[in-house]
Amino acid sequence: MRFVSSLRYAPAILVGRIVRVLARWRKPGGGSAIPGVVVNRIAPGFLAATLNGFPLGLVIVTGSSGKSTTTKMLVAVLRAHGLSVFTNQSTANISQGLTSALLEQVGLSGKIAGDVAVLEMDEGHGAFIAGSLTPRVVALTNVMVDQIDRFHDSEMVAALLAKIAARATESVVLNADDRYLADLGQVLEPTVSVARYGVTAEVLAQYPRGLGYADTAPTRLSAGTGLQLTRVAGRDADVHFATGVQSIRLPARGIHYAVDALTALSTAQSTLGERFDPAIACTALSAMPAVFGRGEVVTVGGKTIEFVLVQNPSSFQLNVDSLEPGTEQILVIIGSDVRDPSYFWPVDTSGLGHVLIASGLKAHDIALQLAYDDVTVDRIEPDVPTALDAFVALPDPVAGVKTIIFSADGMRRTRAHLGLVSNTEEPV
Amino acid sequence: MTATSLDRPFTVVSLLPRLLNTNGDAGNARVLAQRVRWSGHDARVVDVHTRADLPEHVDAVSIGSGTDAALLPARDALRTLVDELRVWSNSGVPVLAVGTGWELLSWGIDLADGSVLEGLGLVAGHAVPRAARATDDIIVASKYGRLIGFENHARDYVGAEASPLGRVLYGTGNADAPASGPQIEGLTMGEVFCTHLHGPVLARNPALADHLLKAAFGRLDLEYALGVTAESVDETARTARNQVAVRLGQSAE
Ligand SMILES: [Zn+2]
Repeated sequence: MRFVSSLRYAPAILVGRIVRVLARWRKPGGGSAIPGVVVNRIAPGFLAATLNGFPLGLVIVTGSSGKSTTTKMLVAVLRAHGLSVFTNQSTANISQGLTSALLEQVGLSGKIAGDVAVLEMDEGHGAFIAGSLTPRVVALTNVMVDQIDRFHDSEMVAALLAKIAARATESVVLNADDRYLADLGQVLEPTVSVARYGVTAEVLAQYPRGLGYADTAPTRLSAGTGLQLTRVAGRDADVHFATGVQSIRLPARGIHYAVDALTALSTAQSTLGERFDPAIACTALSAMPAVFGRGEVVTVGGKTIEFVLVQNPSSFQLNVDSLEPGTEQILVIIGSDVRDPSYFWPVDTSGLGHVLIASGLKAHDIALQLAYDDVTVDRIEPDVPTALDAFVALPDPVAGVKTIIFSADGMRRTRAHLGLVSNTEEPV
Repeated sequence: MTATSLDRPFTVVSLLPRLLNTNGDAGNARVLAQRVRWSGHDARVVDVHTRADLPEHVDAVSIGSGTDAALLPARDALRTLVDELRVWSNSGVPVLAVGTGWELLSWGIDLADGSVLEGLGLVAGHAVPRAARATDDIIVASKYGRLIGFENHARDYVGAEASPLGRVLYGTGNADAPASGPQIEGLTMGEVFCTHLHGPVLARNPALADHLLKAAFGRLDLEYALGVTAESVDETARTARNQVAVRLGQSAE
């Protein structure tokens, strides 16, 4: 049976709903994980039974980096094909949060109206709950070493991802340029199909420092063996499908967004099978709004500002390398979330050239790194509101747009000060 | 007669930066080279992964820290360079080793599974597992001033009691405070400096960087003079250190 049709979970669902109302009542807009805790205690099978019960099954997106963007892209592509999609919010990627999210939509039968579920999972949490899930498709983005979390070295991350991939019932979609994932593709059960995607040698050659993976596979996909990214220039990219080349417009500049798009397209293809239409997929992808905080362009006081969120050294490096050359107005805000200042030192920031203001609680530490990388820093202003006001007030630059590079904490403070709606769905 | 300039670039060797740069400590090589440039001399960093990468002259050596998965390949790679390391440390070439880079220079590393990874045996002592990972800011009183950095290690270091880098004012260092005697951090042997401090330690603590540079310049019969840029950058480092010190209840310097 594909879905749960009994009323087995009805009592737990009702209790969960009551708790949810109470939690909201106590703290408007909050308390999202509490009902999940309650339901998971009363009916531990609820989460798995519901997630496994969608007609087109469950799709899991996991990996070190790019899961959030890839998931959003995949959902947009699937919806453009007419599917009704249940998906989680990034902050709700642990089982309680997921259960709470499910409670929002589930009927008393334990079934959710929808064709397919698409879940973003943290590699650690994914392995933890994957034991009970039977995803039809598992998509693996990459293995990167997060310097701030040195408990997880690359071997350990790869092992966690392998555990999740082993749960796939139909296909595993993987990044063939990532050596750990390419190796994993060689040892998967023959009962699942492996869909590979990757960039061409020409695209890779544009990035002398590589794409940020812990280990880059020695060879590229040969034509016809998987989806290929054949060109990236600014926000434009070309993807080679078996049926021909399609152009896409990325939600932000940067090779990592292009690879995220490639992952989403390849996963959509595995999920939809015959129904997949490259033209529909690429149109949907190109119509996506800029991803929140990542290459997002906002207008404040009549000035255009581009936001660049750096979450780890790899994304910092890729963002520095992807910046429009000659960008003359840059503000860098590194906050208290970067506990160890050496965290960003593997990054070569010299490409920034000139930074107008270094700000945030770690302003002096990032200014030190910039100085040693020969980047001129005009001003160090730890107070974020003061730095933002000074930065926004400057006349528009001649070259490039005003660019703010921030850590998650810097992003939070920036959004709060500029009065931009904060999106609690984004990981912060 | 004392020369006033080098006839070749001042050369900092960065050992195994691919395996030993998880914490950004390979940046210490960048710090040394940049400070030499600011003092008016040509300088370069040479990344050494194998013997073939070794430059003819070596003025200073930096070894960073890596993940435990890299311990074995890093140890094996360092073993092929053990003669050079011995010559450098015996001839006063300043060597800075951080975290696992330091552990690999020791007698050995006791791993959590009970096995022992033999080290290069260049410095006294060895690394042993600690109950819980030490991850926090660390403040150390040393001959080179008050050093402030960030520590992040799952092993203690025993056997450095004879010549520590300094005394722990805040944090863990080589081990938790002993029942008697001072709580210490790091190890020194001639111009070999070993520490748990990330930051990178030389960027955060330019006094230690300049001590290494004076030693390196001394070998060349040259005078190291602080550059003008260094003065303003060091002011930034001082503010960064003071922020940590004040937050942890210590006085500003
Ligand atoms: Zn982790």
